[in-house]
Amino acid sequence: MITVKHLYKEFDGKEVLKDISIRYNPGECSLIIGASGSGKTVLLKCLVGLFEPEKGEIWYDDLLFNKLDLNAKKQLRTQVGMLFQGSALFDFATVEENIMFPMDFFTDWSKEQKLDRVNFCLKRVNLENANKKRPSELSGGMQKRVGIARAIALNPKYLFCDEPNSGLDPTTSILIDRLIQEITQEYGITTIVNTHDMNSVMEIGDKVGFIYHGELLWEGSNKDILHSDCKELNGFVFASPMAQQLKSLLRQEKKNPEDQK
Amino acid sequence: MKKTLELVGQYYLLMKRVFQKPEKWKIFWKQYAVEAEKLILDSIPIVSIISIFIGAVIVIQTANNLESPFIPKMYVGYMARESLVLEFCSTMIALILAGKIGSNIASEIGSMRITEQIDAMEIMGVNSANYLILPKITSATTLSPFLMLESFMVGLLGGALIVIFTGMVTLSQYVDGIQFAFKPFYIYYSMTKTAVFCFIITSISSFYGYHASGGSLGVGRSSTKAIVVSSGLILIFNLIITKIML
Ligand SMILES: Nc1ncnc2c1ncn2[C@@H]1O[C@H](COP(=O)(O)OP(=O)(O)O)[C@@H](O)[C@H]1O
Ligand SMILES: [Mg+2]
Repeated sequence: MITVKHLYKEFDGKEVLKDISIRYNPGECSLIIGASGSGKTVLLKCLVGLFEPEKGEIWYDDLLFNKLDLNAKKQLRTQVGMLFQGSALFDFATVEENIMFPMDFFTDWSKEQKLDRVNFCLKRVNLENANKKRPSELSGGMQKRVGIARAIALNPKYLFCDEPNSGLDPTTSILIDRLIQEITQEYGITTIVNTHDMNSVMEIGDKVGFIYHGELLWEGSNKDILHSDCKELNGFVFASPMAQQLKSLLRQEKKNPEDQK
Repeated sequence: MKKTLELVGQYYLLMKRVFQKPEKWKIFWKQYAVEAEKLILDSIPIVSIISIFIGAVIVIQTANNLESPFIPKMYVGYMARESLVLEFCSTMIALILAGKIGSNIASEIGSMRITEQIDAMEIMGVNSANYLILPKITSATTLSPFLMLESFMVGLLGGALIVIFTGMVTLSQYVDGIQFAFKPFYIYYSMTKTAVFCFIITSISSFYGYHASGGSLGVGRSSTKAIVVSSGLILIFNLIITKIML
């Protein structure tokens, strides 16, 4: 479980996150949604400690993350996996070496044990036999899957994903989303996913937080999201022309169901 | 001025993270070998080519300036040796390396920064500065003095070849000159300079790469800055070391 209390973050005096308080539960995919530039990535990076927040508390279960010393932070980090927006695979290494990287540093496993684990992770993301490939030889979707495999290499308790399906076609997006959801439920991980993709929201959004200009304006599940009365959220949810048209069509239908026949 | 001080502060903080005990020595030594090949071994060809030509040119120029019959011919060899060892093989080679390995390091680390590969390491709990930068600094600093020696030998060889080829002095006069009034301390001085210069090049370029921002344009900017700043510092430290050691 991760608990955020009254988090503030600013860059050069410009407030990017304002008073964010939210709780994330294990075994659930929690989504952070919002338009580009609303502060999703900054929030995620504050949670994992890549950015130092101005004010506020971040709790990993019963550990106050902000106050941990370097060693304790490092200890905690071995339980954290993260999938980056651009995958962030090491391009000096093969797929296999990428997934092995955290094992090299933080385990005393033998070469065979590491290889077993690599193959297990690759199998989990449906990428068997990609071991010796270089990241540059992979498609975007495959890179994301390797990114996921690397993130789960050390059995994390917490998983963070920054726009896991940006730049992917809709079919691949859904595959990646489902993969993240399955892994989350299978291992009881506390998973936090950033996205601006409504398809993901409907697919895996057990819990959704909507950020608007750095403020958390709405919280709920994907079942409630279409019925919310938050103006900014509706603007975001129904932003696409297709959603707009569907919405007005439905309205018309409600008004005079006969005419439509 | 304030900005310079800020940069110095940032540089100091980064170096504090770089110079820490590696998580695992095995990983460190592996990276040390990788960097030694990339930074030093791969520089041997260019250093050799430049040294052989410069050695030849120095010999021609000195021979032309020593027309006077009162100065022994062997001075050609002596002068060539002194200019090679005192300035060329350390400072000139360092300036060339600043261009070659400086831009290499800054763009490599810079592109890892902007593609979030460095963030990915940090998330795992890996000290990215230590993992990426320490092997570069240590391998270049410890091995570059040998590169200086190599450049020195090849430079002298270049001189010998031009002597044989043109016959402006005899080979034995040239060889006598090379051995005349030889001060081993100069070699030591030159090796020290090279080590310091390579520390400057690798740490400064790593610094600019590590703090790159603003996409691939930013990476280009940081590698230009890395070259300019390390060249400037090389010139300044050349002066300081020379004042101290000679
Ligand atoms: N390192 C940084 N320095 C200064 N401003 C930043 C930095 N990172 C993000 N910002 C600003 O914070 C705001 C939120 O950005 P971000 O969280 O990346 O948005 P998104 O929701 O698209 O992920 C933007 O206005 C951006 O300009
Ligand atoms: Mg983002």
